[in-house]
Amino acid sequence: MESLAAGLPVLERPSSVTVADPDRELTERFRDGDRAAFDVLVRRHQKGLWRLVRRYVKSDADAADVTQLAFVRALRGLAAFRGTATVRSWLYRIAINCALSWLRDHRREQPAELDEEALIGDNPAPAELSAGDDRHRLRGAIALLPPKQKLVLELRVFDDLSFREVAELADCSENTAKVNFHYAVKRLRDILGADHEP
Amino acid sequence: MSRDRGDTPDPEPDAELLAAYVDGVAELSPEERHRIEARLARDPGARAEAAAVRGLLDQLRSLPPEGNEPDWAAMASALRDAAAAGSPRPWWRRWQWLVPTSTFATAALVLIATWSRPEAVTAPRPSVDRGHDPRPSDDVMTLWLGGTEVEVSASGALGVLGEVEPASPEADAEPDEVALLPSTDLAWVDTLDDAALDRAERWLAGSR
Repeated sequence: MESLAAGLPVLERPSSVTVADPDRELTERFRDGDRAAFDVLVRRHQKGLWRLVRRYVKSDADAADVTQLAFVRALRGLAAFRGTATVRSWLYRIAINCALSWLRDHRREQPAELDEEALIGDNPAPAELSAGDDRHRLRGAIALLPPKQKLVLELRVFDDLSFREVAELADCSENTAKVNFHYAVKRLRDILGADHEP
Repeated sequence: MSRDRGDTPDPEPDAELLAAYVDGVAELSPEERHRIEARLARDPGARAEAAAVRGLLDQLRSLPPEGNEPDWAAMASALRDAAAAGSPRPWWRRWQWLVPTSTFATAALVLIATWSRPEAVTAPRPSVDRGHDPRPSDDVMTLWLGGTEVEVSASGALGVLGEVEPASPEADAEPDEVALLPSTDLAWVDTLDDAALDRAERWLAGSR
């Protein structure tokens, strides 16, 4: 890629539009009765699904249960999967729905969200921040984002999805996903303050 | 474009794509990419912002995943069992039931056809020439008399009814194997006159 005038490193991502879905063949094999194909699908995506679910469900064991539930629902729906989205974004959509459903059923058991004052007020100087504090502040700042910005940012940064897949999951256009990503980053910087500028 | 919760729009439209440009330049259109690169080339503030975005994204990506990961092998095994119990069958297996069903149905049809036409598969039985005798091979026959179905011995009935002519030659062509007159053989009853029926009624009244 041609470097910028500023010499900024820029991530090269394969365009999601031109890359074929590597999971499509597995879904077709499964529909033809190949049970091992679903096993491959599980092994390929269980870690990503669990991490996604774990961001919603604040318990390892519950997150594992919700992840399994998501896979079971995917198993039931795989025969009807039409392929309008990638298999991965379809699986992630199911997992998000399962996680939100679980949260609705266990609302009172969830820990309280951090408030913004705790994050931006009385912050220690950067040198005093331990790595643990830093991570804690970053996570707390993400939790303060508006829901859609938070979803877009997390899917992009933590799940490594293309903007097209992010858009499918956030139920918006690809361009809107990019704009939401921009404002999520901008707001994070505002919440974390100048202390956090690299 | 949705900014969610009313973020103030950036004065430059392409500024809203800066983070996407920094994070995945290949996912922008060539036009968007060229506009942002032109802005970065002329605006030191934009370059500083791009660098800050890059730094923050690096920090976010360096965050370890939350929680302790579960036993992936156990999860995969449990899901493998679920798949084994509920995986769809190939389309042709949905019609597998047709094979035994059609075989059974065919066999049943052959058997029914065979039983309904025993002469087609059994040797012809020797015919018994009884002249005009309407009696079957055994001595029991069924009569419909006075609204009641009664079985009487043929000899007894004939003793009451006297000489009767069979309604048709076919009536005694084939002996009935169930010891009752077949319904087609009862036509001769219609040929009885009133006197014969009266004698039969009296005989029945006496025999009950």
